[in-house]
Amino acid sequence: MTAAVSISGVSIGFGPVTVIDDLSLDVPTGTTFGVVGESGSGKTTLLRAALGLQGVKRGEIRLMGELFGGSLAETRRRARVIQPIFQDPAAALSPRCRIGVLMDEVAKVLGEPRDSLRQRLDEILRRLGLPRAILDKYPHQISGGQARRAAIARALLMRPRILAADEPTAGLDVSVQGELLNLLQELRQTEDITLLIITHNLAVVRLIADRVAVMQSGRIVEQGEANAVFARPHHAYTRELLNSWPATS
Amino acid sequence: MTARWFRILRDRNGRLGLLFMGLVLLLALSGLILGADPNRIDIPQRLAAPSFAHWLGTDNLGRDLTARISAGTRSALTLALLIVAASAFLGAVIGTAAGLFGRWLDWVVTAIFDTLSAFPALILAFSLVALYGTGRQTFVILAILIFMPQFGRLARSRAQALRHQSFVEAERLLGVHPLVIVLRHILPNIAGPLIVLAGMNIPVVITFEAGLSFLGLGVQPPASSLGTLIKDGFIYMSESWWPTIGAAGTLAFATLGSTLLAETFRDILDPKSATDAEGRA
Ligand SMILES: Nc1ncnc2c1ncn2[C@@H]1O[C@H](COP(=O)(O)OP(=O)(O)OP(=O)(O)O)[C@@H](O)[C@H]1O
Ligand SMILES: [Mg+2]
Repeated sequence: MTAAVSISGVSIGFGPVTVIDDLSLDVPTGTTFGVVGESGSGKTTLLRAALGLQGVKRGEIRLMGELFGGSLAETRRRARVIQPIFQDPAAALSPRCRIGVLMDEVAKVLGEPRDSLRQRLDEILRRLGLPRAILDKYPHQISGGQARRAAIARALLMRPRILAADEPTAGLDVSVQGELLNLLQELRQTEDITLLIITHNLAVVRLIADRVAVMQSGRIVEQGEANAVFARPHHAYTRELLNSWPATS
Repeated sequence: MTARWFRILRDRNGRLGLLFMGLVLLLALSGLILGADPNRIDIPQRLAAPSFAHWLGTDNLGRDLTARISAGTRSALTLALLIVAASAFLGAVIGTAAGLFGRWLDWVVTAIFDTLSAFPALILAFSLVALYGTGRQTFVILAILIFMPQFGRLARSRAQALRHQSFVEAERLLGVHPLVIVLRHILPNIAGPLIVLAGMNIPVVITFEAGLSFLGLGVQPPASSLGTLIKDGFIYMSESWWPTIGAAGTLAFATLGSTLLAETFRDILDPKSATDAEGRA
């Protein structure tokens, strides 16, 4: 089976500084994949490269086996494959647009009739427990939790094969964290989505990831089945990371 | 949204600004309504004090000052609006493009803005007049060159900041057309400060035009301008105060009124005071 995300020999630098160093990684289709690592290890940079927001110096990144370019047509093709879930949900919704307008943009991009999109949207809103009334509201008029789910609803409208989340639980209290992770896990199963989660919170990874990769200074130092990595870490850095937790979380 | 605009009336400076601008507008329109010819010479009536026939008196050639000041005010207001609108529009387009697309475009645009603002306005005025002669058109181009860079810089820095915001990246990752991103998601978030800056610049442009016309570099006689009217008034000051008082007073009312209005608009459009108002509504 082709990997959902296949990163091979990727290097990324900012000026003279190399942030990702000849990194290779396969994210199997249908898994919940966690990438962990301390702050500054390059997790966000790697995710942005997968999304196409960051160019690479060397190597290539394939999504569902395909390469994508930078043109609008290519961006649209990629948009049907991968969608992001941003850390700050309110900041991910354009502040001067009603939520409904933001949803209709998806119809434009997909070339789908608005009615058919609204039908799918109704279904998604119901699943995420969002009232239809939010469609007439501006992002600042809905709660943080609703904004988070509205952003996820919008991503789901694209019917992506991969959802990529950078620190999706940052700043949430523990019970809300659990709810969100359950929702994502459920979506992965019912929508047949690969979930790529990037975080420095080991508890999150332990809770939902099937597989985990440990990142240090722009390289993957260890990867494997989540239970195995947590039970028998091979690399010294992983052990260090595990030992320093839960003190850090 | 509309309720916000009523806040002008709640603000003391806002009411004063509206009153002043109302008077100035009335004066500007009076010439059109009363239909007096601003260029009709009537030597026996020269330098007359205000009377029922000539509400603001007459000038050294006996021309009706109400008509002349009215025409000068119309010219000052239209020029100011035209120049500010053109500067804001051009600045917004160029600055946003530079801020969003960066690289060489940003470099070139920044260099042009910096060069333009490094020239003192008067030097720029003298060089343009030397090259193209005086006239309304030269003046408009000159003023746009002088006033556009501040709008451009504001738009550029705002666009640069917005470009990396999550919501703009979310739009890009959705595959939304770049033009739609600019028109629907970038410009509306830049427009507020640009409108405020435009408002604050209207009195500055009015004064600038009067100043250049006073020096003979702006609007040329016989077209009337507040600046030339003040200059003509100055020459005959020993014989009569009225021409100077009328023109200078109108200029003062116009600049003061538009400043007060612009400041009130700024406070109303300020996001903090805006959410405050919606919270109360
Ligand atoms: N746009 C940029 N320009 C220059 N350097 C950058 C840029 N983005 C990231 N970096 C550098 O790249 C390195 C990795 O950053 P990155 O944000 O990928 O780390 P991270 O693992 O996501 O950290 P965190 O857990 O704190 O989010 C850091 O040293 C950072 O300073
Ligand atoms: Mg990060």
